Amino acid sequence: MRSIETSVTFPLSSVKPLEGLSAYRAYCLDATRHAIAGGGRRRDRSPVSGARLEPFGIVEGLAYLRDPENGSLFLADLPDAEAWAGLLKRVVRFRHSPEAFHADLAQSRTDHVYAPKLEWIQETLRLQQMRRPRLLEVMTAPSRLTPLLVESRAFAEVLSVEEMALAHPTETASGAVVPAHAAVLLESLDRVDDPEALLRGVAHRLEDGGLLFVTALVASGFDLAVLGVQNRYLYPPDRANCFSVRGLEALIRRMGFVPLEVSTPGVLDVSVVHAHLAHEPSIPLSSFERQLMEADEEVRAAFQTFLQQQGFSSFARIVARRHA
Amino acid sequence: MRCLVFGFGYMGKIRCQVLQRHPAVREIIVVEPDVRVRARPEGAIPTSFLLPSDPIPWDTADAVFICTPNHLTTQLCVEALTRCGRVFCEKPPGRDWDDFCRIEEAARATPGHLLVFGFNHRMHPSVQSAKALIGRGGLGDILYMKGTYGKSGGMAYPQNWRAKPELAGGGILLDQGIHMLDLFQLFLGPLRPTDALLRDAFWGCGLEDNAFVLLQSEQGIPAFLHSSGTLWKHTFHLEIGCRDGYLIATGLLSKTGSYGRERLVIGKRQFEDETLALGNPREEIVHFDRDESWDREVSEFLAAIQERRPATHGTLEEAKRVMQIIRDVYAMAGRRLVQEPR
Repeated sequence: MRSIETSVTFPLSSVKPLEGLSAYRAYCLDATRHAIAGGGRRRDRSPVSGARLEPFGIVEGLAYLRDPENGSLFLADLPDAEAWAGLLKRVVRFRHSPEAFHADLAQSRTDHVYAPKLEWIQETLRLQQMRRPRLLEVMTAPSRLTPLLVESRAFAEVLSVEEMALAHPTETASGAVVPAHAAVLLESLDRVDDPEALLRGVAHRLEDGGLLFVTALVASGFDLAVLGVQNRYLYPPDRANCFSVRGLEALIRRMGFVPLEVSTPGVLDVSVVHAHLAHEPSIPLSSFERQLMEADEEVRAAFQTFLQQQGFSSFARIVARRHA
Repeated sequence: MRCLVFGFGYMGKIRCQVLQRHPAVREIIVVEPDVRVRARPEGAIPTSFLLPSDPIPWDTADAVFICTPNHLTTQLCVEALTRCGRVFCEKPPGRDWDDFCRIEEAARATPGHLLVFGFNHRMHPSVQSAKALIGRGGLGDILYMKGTYGKSGGMAYPQNWRAKPELAGGGILLDQGIHMLDLFQLFLGPLRPTDALLRDAFWGCGLEDNAFVLLQSEQGIPAFLHSSGTLWKHTFHLEIGCRDGYLIATGLLSKTGSYGRERLVIGKRQFEDETLALGNPREEIVHFDRDESWDREVSEFLAAIQERRPATHGTLEEAKRVMQIIRDVYAMAGRRLVQEPR
């Protein structure tokens, strides 16, 4: 198995500025509260281990629970699948509107968020000697990745499929389909209501030996571990599930995939904590964490590299092969 | 399959461990003169030990592994080719060019033979990944290669057979540098040495403990090797400069871990139009945590036997090319080994 670190750096403000997050975050939280108010279910068992979930904390009135076996976090209450699918669509629409920060940073996010992911996928395909595969892109439309995938000409075909449709297939949609050679899920497992069902659906659409590309924000990463529920990047529906690296890997294995790469090549953990501290100086940090945040840029960069190398950054990437 | 393993030293033990894991292997017979080193490898496959003076069950062996010191390799390899025909031989393929020629002659005289030499570094994950990324893999054609491979020898080195010219045949270049030469040729095709300097700088055993070799491919691409028995910090460092970037493979997933964590740095060429700091392009570093090179190498050899097909790596031709380089380097240096005054 391999893991990857990177020397690429970019500022937090170029992809997801803390100060610009407020409107989008508030919309997401309101929309989630509204969806849940219509009724639904409470998760009491972990989708990863089956263990009984423990209380973790409250994010603006919405409870998060924790898997005691691997530290993964889960939004406690979920509406039914149809309502959740509608919620994801509304949120994506808002994300693409001028009111959210994403619109102003579209080019920067393409350069720093999506283009490197495309490069990662292409390099992995080369290493696995897979040429021009049929690629299944799992997303909630519209996806900024889709045009990049198509324009790259690296794939024989790009099939874009809605996460919720894959996790909850209908009778009419479950007919025979040509299997894909690879599937990409950029933070899909973070936001889908049933990650196990989504992976089952993906496995069903992948050929034997097909590759699975997953990215996720992980609770075991530095900024999420340090800030907990005070981390303003932890909110539903985008982060209805916030796995630990161990939890994510375990789930992927349990669903019949063999990991080839497990990496945390994140570059923003230290910046995220730093930005939170600037925003709210009274945020409770240990004296060691405070020392780190007050250290010069060189020390902070070295620490970020350490987080990458040791699997402690909060941005995780996994490549796995479907069992032949 | 019934496998005969000659030698139960460092390499013999590794091969036995790998054979224990292989689904086609039914029995392992180890031929080892030193009864003190006998220890049954972990695993369910029956393993027995013979002395070299015992009758050797050549006729019932499906495959022979030769894991002996260099002075025994050639004679055993020739005999194994003649009496079994399916031979896996550790590197180097003989102590010198003459030894190699004897092996080659025996191979040519054995129709349908399968002879593979142990160049497992080709199978290391960092090397395999590098191979996939050069050329049309994204980094473009190779401009140059540089390799440093070395170890410290250790206190008992002067007593080791590797330090005795009559047993080893060559110094660190033949012992360890041969792997790097094989890797150079994996990427660049046939090479010829253009300059070389050999030194017996520290150990004073009459064999080179440092070799500096400059080579050139048929397309004129240069490669430089530093092979050393005086690298007090064990080092494996392979640098491949390409038109559109570079690759640096460092560390090796060895049993002791002394060469460090195996990793591959992937750098992309970036000029001023792409980066603020010219000469400091962005890099990705891939870390590997599993060495499957031994298993893959043996699996490929046993698969070739079962499928009655030629081997895909470690072939006689590849071994010949690397031994030609070593022959030429030794000739170039005229065996005028530079020894430090003591």
